[in-house]
Amino acid sequence: MKFHLTKIIATLLFCLGLASCSEDNSSDMSMDDFARNEMLSFWSDEIIIPAYEAYVESLEELDQELAHFINQAPKEKTLSGLRNSCLQAQISWQKVSMFEIGEAEKIGLRNFTNIFPTDTALINKNIAENNFNLALPSNFVAQGFPALDYLLYGIADNDQQILNLLKTEAYLSYLTSLISRLLELSDLVLMDWKNSFRNEFTSNDGSSGTASVDKMVNDFLFYYEKHFRAGKIGIPAGIFSGNTLSHSVEAPFAKEYSKTLFLEALTNIQNFFLGKSHDSSTEGPSLASYLKAMDQEPLADEISAQFNEAATKAAFLSDNFKEQVELDNSKMLEVYDELQKAVILMKVEMMQVLNIQVDYVDADGD
Amino acid sequence: MTNLKPIIALIFSITLLSCSNDDDTNEIIVNNPINYTFERDGNSTVAFSGQSTRIGMATELIDAMKDFDQNTSVLLEMYANQTAAGDDANPYSDAELNASTKSVKSKVAASADFFASNTSESATIKADFESWISAQVTEVFPNQNELAEAGKAGQLADGTSARYVNAKGLEYNQAVNKSLIGALMVDQILNNYLSTAVLDAGTNKSDNDEGITEENQSYTTMEHKWDEAYGYLFGASANTSNPLISLGDDNFLNKYLARVDADEDFNGIAQIIFDAFKLGRAAIVAKEYGLRDEQIKILKENISKLIAIRAVYYLQQGKLALADQNFGAAFHDLSEGFGFVYSLRFLRESTGPNPYFSKSEVDAMINLLMEGNGFWDLNNTTLDQLSASIAEKFDFTINQAGE
Repeated sequence: MKFHLTKIIATLLFCLGLASCSEDNSSDMSMDDFARNEMLSFWSDEIIIPAYEAYVESLEELDQELAHFINQAPKEKTLSGLRNSCLQAQISWQKVSMFEIGEAEKIGLRNFTNIFPTDTALINKNIAENNFNLALPSNFVAQGFPALDYLLYGIADNDQQILNLLKTEAYLSYLTSLISRLLELSDLVLMDWKNSFRNEFTSNDGSSGTASVDKMVNDFLFYYEKHFRAGKIGIPAGIFSGNTLSHSVEAPFAKEYSKTLFLEALTNIQNFFLGKSHDSSTEGPSLASYLKAMDQEPLADEISAQFNEAATKAAFLSDNFKEQVELDNSKMLEVYDELQKAVILMKVEMMQVLNIQVDYVDADGD
Repeated sequence: MTNLKPIIALIFSITLLSCSNDDDTNEIIVNNPINYTFERDGNSTVAFSGQSTRIGMATELIDAMKDFDQNTSVLLEMYANQTAAGDDANPYSDAELNASTKSVKSKVAASADFFASNTSESATIKADFESWISAQVTEVFPNQNELAEAGKAGQLADGTSARYVNAKGLEYNQAVNKSLIGALMVDQILNNYLSTAVLDAGTNKSDNDEGITEENQSYTTMEHKWDEAYGYLFGASANTSNPLISLGDDNFLNKYLARVDADEDFNGIAQIIFDAFKLGRAAIVAKEYGLRDEQIKILKENISKLIAIRAVYYLQQGKLALADQNFGAAFHDLSEGFGFVYSLRFLRESTGPNPYFSKSEVDAMINLLMEGNGFWDLNNTTLDQLSASIAEKFDFTINQAGE
């Protein structure tokens, strides 16, 4: 009896709470006076579009390096040119991966570019059968940079054997398909930004679930949580599975670049938060300045300091995350903890101050 | 009105309690243990291996439906545990399952209360599963490497994974998985083993009163029937006598008890259900059939509600994903929703013989989901209407279930 009375009272209180909440919401519809439009313009013109330009350019260089490799006499062929330009493109990717909005969101750019661990058995099957469709979701794990990492570093035990395989028609054809596809998709996204999406993005400057700032902040946080924090550190460190998965690090076949790619991503996350332009030459309106405008300067400083803290902890990591997980995973966990603290600060506190609803949930898992 | 029932049950238990406190000559002693542990002469009387076996068979079937190297006859053998000709089959990877003569199919839509004299509907339902299993092989497998679109089977991206759907967007493996929760687990629990027609059949009551056990067994028939109901929910649990410590140990009813219990709007439902199973079993030991029947009411009310909540949840989640044009995620939710809607047919009102939903009501809901190009044609209005027509029969709101 008592229990039910409590429940009824709780329900009543809840209803009352709801009623007052919805009144609050209506008054919140009138926006704060932060110039969202200026921030969106700065993001587009000084961060996102230049980052895509640099990314597409790096893929064009990779494509040229591939053409060079193909045209070389068999004796003169080496792996170094392809490997170097692939690494540059991978680094450039870390500047755009967080901007999965517009055309990138529509085509699922990140799924086709950097889903790891890659499925080496599927890649081998695709190469052997030479009958594959890279547009299929089931081939997410057989393309993009993780597949290039496998082709350029992992298909045989030593460089000479890798080179010999890449000289064969089957491997070369797959390598060509992978690079062409990266270039084709990134070009689509860049063209869309330049042709129409830039204006659509900047003019949608209101404050609602479908407004550009709300969507971008959600996409940024989703990237931070799932693909950066979990993908690059948490999953290999065993946070979600209970046992470490050292082969799930980024670029496990090249071995020595996983930390480079992680730090590059972290820097770009921090730069976006602070509103640093693509080349870091200027600063503009940002999530940090937005927080300051809402009298939350300490929170803005705390979030940025948290990124620094993660970088400080990451300095203790090996360049080779696979080795780090296998030899001393506790250092990976320490980095994860610092990254996680920033999730709380952003997803709970920042979102509340900026009055943005989180629009994604953890998947059901089945 | 429905809110009064638990109160009555509570008052009833209090009355019992006060009786046992009295030094009355007619005192009633119900020994309600902490765990689901019951013994006679030092031997456990709890047994439900048949239920664990069927959960195991259903699990292998669901997994095999996602294996593109499988063929129709093996999948159908996993469903029926016999060949098309009716001979013994060994389709499972687990030798113990192959050795068993039990099957999933024989217990689909096979409860005493709903289907004993309704064999034509039972046959239709059994055949629905066969048609979904076969269609997975004939419609979906050939299009493994095609992108799905309206009217065309194939794959869709859901996050970083691929979902395989038919021409209407339905994942047959989800249809089978989630529909079995109703047609096998819920139907057997609510309409068969917790039916007084089954519990009190023949000499069950007098045997139980006199402690006459089944031949070569430590349990009375009534005790065993009750345990078989329990086994369809907890038969795959890591710790079957204390199953709440690891909810979610199967992909069927247990998993979704975990999911609904994790929703703060319904937190505690797992404890309510476990407690009712335990007290009802203790009441059988104490020969207190009134107390047992009160627990049956609690189980009917809460297990029925659980399925209805989950049906509304997936319809609403599908609606949200459709709004983002995220077809892979939406159709996955809706495929699960399809199975939970199909399962509504087996829910049972807490008193009396009636189902919450008639066959024609559920058929109409399934038709709304599948007409035209199926999920590709669905809109918010339809999904909200379906959600409302489910929620209105229970004491929860669409919002409580949907998030």
